[in-house]
Amino acid sequence: MALAATLLHNAYFCGRCCRHKALQPLLGPLLSDSLSKSYSSYRRPGSQPEKKTTWQNVDLSFKKSIEVLKTQLGMLKKETEDHLAGPEGQSLTHYMLEQTRVVWEFRSQEDLNKWVISSDVEIGGKSEVYLKLGRNNQTALLYGTLNTEVPRDGETKYSGYCSMRAKPLVGSFARKKYYDWSNFNSLYLRVRGDGRPWMVNIYTDPYFSHQKDDLYNYFMFTRGGPYWEEIKIPFSKFFLSSRGRVQDDQHPIWLDKISTVGFTIGDKVNGPFQLEIDFIGLLNDRAHTEEFAYETYEKNPPL
Amino acid sequence: FILMLSLALGTMITITSNHWVTAWAGLEINTLAIIPLISKSHHPRAIEAATKYFLTQATASALMLFSSMTNAWSSGQWDITQLTNPPSCLLLTAAIAIKLGLTPFHFWFPEVLQGSSLTTALLLSTAMKFPPTTILLLTSHSLNPTLLSTMAIMSIALGGWMGLNQTQTRKILAFSSISHLGWMTITITYNPKLTLLTFYLYSLMTTSIFLSMNSTNTLKLSTLMTSWTKAPMLNTTLMLTLLSLAGLPPLTGFLPKWLIIQELTKQEMTTTATIISMLSLLGLFFYLRLTYCSTITLPPNSSNKMKQWSIKKPVNTLTPTL
Repeated sequence: MALAATLLHNAYFCGRCCRHKALQPLLGPLLSDSLSKSYSSYRRPGSQPEKKTTWQNVDLSFKKSIEVLKTQLGMLKKETEDHLAGPEGQSLTHYMLEQTRVVWEFRSQEDLNKWVISSDVEIGGKSEVYLKLGRNNQTALLYGTLNTEVPRDGETKYSGYCSMRAKPLVGSFARKKYYDWSNFNSLYLRVRGDGRPWMVNIYTDPYFSHQKDDLYNYFMFTRGGPYWEEIKIPFSKFFLSSRGRVQDDQHPIWLDKISTVGFTIGDKVNGPFQLEIDFIGLLNDRAHTEEFAYETYEKNPPL
Repeated sequence: FILMLSLALGTMITITSNHWVTAWAGLEINTLAIIPLISKSHHPRAIEAATKYFLTQATASALMLFSSMTNAWSSGQWDITQLTNPPSCLLLTAAIAIKLGLTPFHFWFPEVLQGSSLTTALLLSTAMKFPPTTILLLTSHSLNPTLLSTMAIMSIALGGWMGLNQTQTRKILAFSSISHLGWMTITITYNPKLTLLTFYLYSLMTTSIFLSMNSTNTLKLSTLMTSWTKAPMLNTTLMLTLLSLAGLPPLTGFLPKWLIIQELTKQEMTTTATIISMLSLLGLFFYLRLTYCSTITLPPNSSNKMKQWSIKKPVNTLTPTL
């Protein structure tokens, strides 16, 4: 409760939410951030020592609040105009006709700022991960070293993961906005990897907090070569997992309220890794007729 | 099957009650019976919809019970038609507004409808609206008209505005439902029979839309666009029904709107009548857009779903032509 309240405050006052970093990994161990001190005095080895408390961050200047209000009202006006124009801000004919859409491109530093990287440093591991713009500002390069050395805190059994996750969309007045991808049926990635397998995760932000660990995952196997790969992952292949555990009750992902997409590497191999991403887009593959790749068994079938 | 039976039972209990506790009991039976129906597919969104539905309806039931208790405290009797205590009238109005989904208590409705399957959504928007409407009808002489009119105008405005760029058909129907509820409640203090008429016609039209959408399994606009290849007759009747919902003259949906506007002008509320007709233009816009999508444009492709070779349940195509 206190953590949620302080997280909310942080989200409002600071520019960069530590909430985003706090929602990352798929492996078991509980995350920490600088505010977990409100529970106990044990600080996990990877977390930062306590910085300024939230009440010290409060800025009561009038001018700044007027500017903030102006930006928020500007965003609200733009949202109203988008609402009038049609679904997702484009006209209806555009929505009806579109078969591909590029959602994330990496052409400048602000595009990179839409992503958050994290690794097992948060739980005390030793992997490193960095994100930078590639050559000629045409790609994003996610690189680093994976280190599967388990942090010695007595409760972690596995370690060694690095991930990159998109920040969720924020509307005016810090409301959540979602992507509506119901027109499409596959994810289209133009990447150049190094042969290591990655996991693509899609997070559909649920309303209630007991479902906040629900994540839809699928794997992306990269070739190592110098040639670009165009990987199409249909949404019907994504399976549901929660906190890293694959659930028994599988169902296809609903595409009308998607919050973030992330990439994780955690293949238990010590060593450097590299992933160059050109863009991430969506495709409405007309030839793909599968609705869901995994059979959905009824748990209590009527006799 | 037993859930449907409990739904019918709950509705009957509420409709035929003249004591507050039986009315409340019927509403609770309805709520409890429809919760497993909403969460039947164990999708997280369905469960979220069921949770939201339960929370809102339980709050509304509690408020209703509270209002009936304050009324019983002040007047000594539990008869539904004798609602004399003004605060309990207001509280009851709020409670029924939450149950029905009137603005400003409408926030749960699109999400719940989106999370449930098409048939359950149909039940939610027609059958579940019936008992609270009957309670409003029974107490209509003692309710505060200003509050009701305000809520009704806001509902029509909001139903029209928010429905503008939805791409999911269930949410579109949710907003159309909110808008129609606004039309229903605006006349409830002046001529309750009109409310009943609007409700019946609205449920008939919505039933036909939901059933036609169910047979083609259209959950989003793009599927609606490709339904013409599979069942062209259904498509045309769907178009007519949608235009009827919008309230265009030769079709049946115009009748309640016309009568309500006439009633409002008789009550010297011409500005209100003008405002609500203007606002229903917004609704008309998105109904038109739906019809445009489904019938007038003919995309060259067909939908990817394998299941739609033949219609499993042939829909009664006569109902839309009413």
